[in-house]
Amino acid sequence: MDALTKMIRIEIVIPGRDAPSVRELITAAGATGYTAVSGVSGLGHHGPHSGALLFNEYDTLTMLITVLPPEKALALIGAVRQLLEDGPGVMFVADTYVSRPEYFA
Amino acid sequence: MSLEIRAAVARATRTVIPSWPLSSFIAVNPLGGHESEDFDRAAATRPRDAFLADYDTGRITDPDLIAAVLQRVPELAGAGNVVIGNRVWAAAELVAAELVHADHQGMPPSSTPAPDLVDELVSKWVAAYLDPHPLWEMPDRDQGLWAAWMAMARYDPHLPKAARRRLRDLPRTPDEGLAQALDRLGVHGSETELVLRLESHKLPGWVAHIKWRSDHVGDIDVTSYLAVRITLRWALGLPLPRSVAEPTTERATVWARAAVLIPMLSEDPASSDTHVRVARILGLHPPQLHAVTWQSAYEEHYREQLVTALRTTAPTTSNPSVQVVMCIDPRSEGMRRHLEDDPDIETYGFAGFFGVPIRFTSYQARGSIDALPALLAAHHSVTETTNNVHHARRRASALRVRDAFAAGLHASETVPAAPFALAETLGWFSGATTLLRTFWPGSTPFIGRLLHQTTPAMATEVTIDTAFTLDERAGLAETGIRMMGLDRQAPLIILAGHGSTSTNNLYQSALDCGACGGNPGAANARAAAAIFNDPEVRRILSSRGLPIPDTTFFVAAEHNTVSDRIDILDSQLIPDSHTTSVTFFLETQTTAADRLVTERAAQLPGATRHSLTRLRQRANDWAEVYPELGLAGNAAMIIGPREMTLGVNLQRRVFLHSYRPECDLDGSALETIMTAPLVVAQWINHQYYFSTVDQNCWGAGTKTIHNAIGTIGVLSGHTGDLRRGLPLQSVAIGNRDLHEPMRLSVLIQAPLDRIGTIISRNQVLRHLFDNNWITLTARNDADSTWYRYSTYGWIPEPHLDVTTQGD
Repeated sequence: MDALTKMIRIEIVIPGRDAPSVRELITAAGATGYTAVSGVSGLGHHGPHSGALLFNEYDTLTMLITVLPPEKALALIGAVRQLLEDGPGVMFVADTYVSRPEYFA
Repeated sequence: MSLEIRAAVARATRTVIPSWPLSSFIAVNPLGGHESEDFDRAAATRPRDAFLADYDTGRITDPDLIAAVLQRVPELAGAGNVVIGNRVWAAAELVAAELVHADHQGMPPSSTPAPDLVDELVSKWVAAYLDPHPLWEMPDRDQGLWAAWMAMARYDPHLPKAARRRLRDLPRTPDEGLAQALDRLGVHGSETELVLRLESHKLPGWVAHIKWRSDHVGDIDVTSYLAVRITLRWALGLPLPRSVAEPTTERATVWARAAVLIPMLSEDPASSDTHVRVARILGLHPPQLHAVTWQSAYEEHYREQLVTALRTTAPTTSNPSVQVVMCIDPRSEGMRRHLEDDPDIETYGFAGFFGVPIRFTSYQARGSIDALPALLAAHHSVTETTNNVHHARRRASALRVRDAFAAGLHASETVPAAPFALAETLGWFSGATTLLRTFWPGSTPFIGRLLHQTTPAMATEVTIDTAFTLDERAGLAETGIRMMGLDRQAPLIILAGHGSTSTNNLYQSALDCGACGGNPGAANARAAAAIFNDPEVRRILSSRGLPIPDTTFFVAAEHNTVSDRIDILDSQLIPDSHTTSVTFFLETQTTAADRLVTERAAQLPGATRHSLTRLRQRANDWAEVYPELGLAGNAAMIIGPREMTLGVNLQRRVFLHSYRPECDLDGSALETIMTAPLVVAQWINHQYYFSTVDQNCWGAGTKTIHNAIGTIGVLSGHTGDLRRGLPLQSVAIGNRDLHEPMRLSVLIQAPLDRIGTIISRNQVLRHLFDNNWITLTARNDADSTWYRYSTYGWIPEPHLDVTTQGD
């Protein structure tokens, strides 16, 4: 682990129709990129979600994953918390380690 | 602070549903952001007077009202009876009587906030930014709205000098600008979101379109828009918008309501016990439910008529020589019914993109279209190819010359003073063509043909192989067969997409295929036909137990919903063995088209006694505001085999999706139908509903005063909000509604447990059905009782009786 650099990994699961707002926050926070997984299935406070639908990407759940340096992550975490305060969606934050920190700075 | 502001903006506009541009009009539920709430809390209905007028004419009956009351408050079924005068009243009857005889509804009329100077200024600048003049683009436009506006606003002559001075030194980014303006206006903390929400309500049409554009084009976002608005408000010293308190309607107590109702039902004095019992019953149905109960009764009447009509269907065709697959669009219902007058033709309903979502670029074209449902992003690009390279080169040269001439003409129109010279030189020609088009609308296609003589159409094929892998193509074909239950194949199968033709119609796209992203469906039909005819795809289908006979050929076609003619596409691909069948189809179709145009003329304004030629000329008449009826009247969706509806005149009001449970053992096809075509049908239905219920708020107003902002949208007049929804002429004729605003009644023939499972695992369906945005009636099979879906489970409806199919 010594050769790796510590970063913050943020995962956000939200309805597909709310994903543009979160993508906008991620970009505005200075993240150099993100991964989007549409059609996420599971069970939550609003009941079960079937996952990917053949002809509907709008009404499924999307998971957005981004990795940032800690100094940029705090602002994003605060903004996403604010966004999710009383709506559907969850956020997971964890430490992570990357081999090429310049990719995420 | 910057991110907090963006999060506040996102929260403040969370329920705003993006609005597509006019060039690819997509019908949406404007209140789709509220689908997690019950319809009666989030939405609106027609006024009580309109329902009472329908009650007087019998469009709503007492049984409809009682059924609606019991649906809304099932407890009333066990609430006992009350004797008033010499009549025994069931609890539901009493509640229904109150709806008719006493006005405790107190529905406040919807109100649109009064426009202010900020609205006028913002509308002007946003329009200039999004639809730039080709020669005079706003400076710094490439840096976004905020930068472009800052560069110009300080010179805006409509602003007082003091305001212009205040705009000289603004922050560089919209986020900082918005934060600064809010701070200067004294807005902090939790107040921020409320202020942003109220500000975004001021021009909801622009905000909805900016939300779409932010995600699809990326050159503007809602934060920049609100930054401009609130900065202007600060610069002008105007007050912030304040939330308007809901008008407090004095709600009558249950005792007062009973005291009003009882004398209306009997002149005999009632005992205090009777008063108490009536009051208790009325208390179960509070006034805030009255409007939506009226709405349910209005819909119940239609739903019962529809299900009753399904009792007598025509016998099915045992061995059709032609099968025609058409879009689920209600306009296809009329064509399918008339085609099936010939027993050799069998029809199917499927979403008009035929399960092939593509971004399509025509051969030698500049732009592309996203021919797919708005629920999807474009992942597959399809274009055209040709073997006739020599012809293609000549055509390309001719197109360049024509485009150069058009560009030169357009450029000269936009250069100051040039239009004067243009009027002198080409004015006579333009005047002559204008006269021709005005007094002889039929000349428009003739002129068009003349202009296009130098660039004649060219035989091409769609490039399916490069857009989809073989596995993907086989998967799409299998999905299509299972979704529509195409368990037997005739020698000729026509896949008919649809499109509309009209002249001088900014809402042309609203008449095209919704499943193809507001585009004509020809490209998708051609792509689907190519997939189904692919021998490799057929080999895979056969290995999956879905063999298509070698003698079967798929042909692409397009149904023009103004002329009702169906044109065969890619005719050069049709093998000699099938030309006779195609000729037979075209002859049958010509007769069917004439019958359908005549049938539709009964509802088209000003069309009575018009000849077929004149009715079809509406497509070319640039003064015609009703080229066709579009989807006006849409009210239901039926998912099931054609045997359910064969021979029944559904009056072009029903979305018809073919489905056979036996072809879909795992239920995945039904899940796809319910989560895609049904959702799109619901969007269309609610667009029509809300555009009818409140034209000012959710409709686009009359076409006659529309001014186009490029291909983005329209304004009513020269400034103000970008209009949302459908124009008046799509839903009304003068003061008379052309469209009956009803929530979609969905009828499904499939195992109830399968339907229930699908609903329970899809939040979008739970919201729509559980929150009463649409209704669902279903039966296991043709011999079963109908059941209504409710939050209490499936409720049998034996009074709807069993269908006697094929008798």
